[in-house]
Amino acid sequence: MSSSISGLLSATFAEPGYEHLVELVHQRDASGRRRLEALAVELYDADGRELAARAVDPRDEVLDLGKLIGEVLQPGARALVLFDARYDPDAFPYRPHHYAYLHRITSGDPPLYYAVNATLGGVPDRIGAERLNNFETYLFRTRPFAERYSLLLGSVARFADVEARVTCYYASTSTTKTVTLAPKHHAEVVLPLEHAGEPLARVDLKSMFRLASYVVGRRASTGSLVLFDHLFTYFK
Amino acid sequence: MTRLLRRVARALLGVERPPVYYLPWLVRPGIDCVLMLSNLEARFRSGHNAGPFAFRVTQYAADGRLLAEHHTRLERGTDVAEVTLAASDTGWGFVTIGDDPVQSDLYVTLSDGAAYAATHGRQEFVERYPARSRAVLAVVGSLLAWLARTVPAFVRYQYAYVGAESRSDLLLLNLSNVTNRIRVVTLPAGSPSVLVRIPPMGSHLLDISRLAQPAVQGTRVVPLRLEGNAWFNLYVVGASERSTPRSLMHVK
Repeated sequence: MSSSISGLLSATFAEPGYEHLVELVHQRDASGRRRLEALAVELYDADGRELAARAVDPRDEVLDLGKLIGEVLQPGARALVLFDARYDPDAFPYRPHHYAYLHRITSGDPPLYYAVNATLGGVPDRIGAERLNNFETYLFRTRPFAERYSLLLGSVARFADVEARVTCYYASTSTTKTVTLAPKHHAEVVLPLEHAGEPLARVDLKSMFRLASYVVGRRASTGSLVLFDHLFTYFK
Repeated sequence: MTRLLRRVARALLGVERPPVYYLPWLVRPGIDCVLMLSNLEARFRSGHNAGPFAFRVTQYAADGRLLAEHHTRLERGTDVAEVTLAASDTGWGFVTIGDDPVQSDLYVTLSDGAAYAATHGRQEFVERYPARSRAVLAVVGSLLAWLARTVPAFVRYQYAYVGAESRSDLLLLNLSNVTNRIRVVTLPAGSPSVLVRIPPMGSHLLDISRLAQPAVQGTRVVPLRLEGNAWFNLYVVGASERSTPRSLMHVK
């Protein structure tokens, strides 16, 4: 083990009613398990109130986040979930990768598998955390689906508010909405499917520092998550 | 040390690694597979931001056959072209993107008509082995296959999930011009395991319930070790007992 320990703050969002399994490490090596040195999980409601804080045994490989959420959240609520990991950079030269399996129980929908946002730490020039401008984008299919789109945005900051500018692009027009997030607050920003008769084609997200950010699609009839993806980050 | 050995082995075998951007595709009855092509980041690249941009999409079938070539052109970097990938009733594989350099993530979408899920492709490389190396690998690979083994030149690990309602299958992509024998082993016991033979530039959709029975309640996590004799990668495919696969996900 090296004498220096690195840190990585990852973030996701969770709602009751889902199987939600988060991989705490992604790789193993031949000589044994590559494990974290320490991991703390914190859950916050939309107003930044701490709902729970747990130390996780770093020997665990997968965290049952769905079970934890079921213990602290009422149906219909949502939490910002932060994973504060400490790791040996010799074991994870890039950084530990956190992926997650997400499945709405009894929905009949297939499960989703997604990469958990790395919001702070890791190798500085590989995660867009140290630059002033953070710029992300996502494309949408323009034919109509029975699906609603939104951005889930959360602030992992400790002290400062952050403004997030969300611009939706349509064929010939755009709309912009600014959302202010206090530390540990989060919000779901609905993306209008149409504007001036044109379908949503793209969303851009700009902020002064890295947010927890996912684009989500919900089945219109049930609200079930059928799309849960990270945006494409510029200026990495 | 391992990296040095790999470099030496590649030099001895004469392997070339041309860069390539690739995406998976998967078609089932009732499921549309559509690519979304753009060059969004090009607008920030001085000297590379003026269109038009040409895309050549080369579609490979599961058996490695060249199934189709699609050509499209974007006038501006912010334009998006949708390319529908057709197959017969059922098929899967991957596409490579050629012509102008890609300066953005490209997406592949799966839709049941009511909703869709998307994931992006990967900028990596394919391995090109010369004829003599292909012959050596063919002989050694065939011998080891008798023992249900492969040359473990590339090893990666992946968690799979098996539940009563849902599971995560794996779409294994052979990113080389040699037959790739990929051995998938469940951990920690090392058993059961399967040996999959994938033709050059071919792919295999591995039903994970072949390796692990679903949990009675909830979802069972199945750690896997994958060994291949040539470069390969994988996408996770979300599958359900009650519907066709409708989500794909890249893994680093």
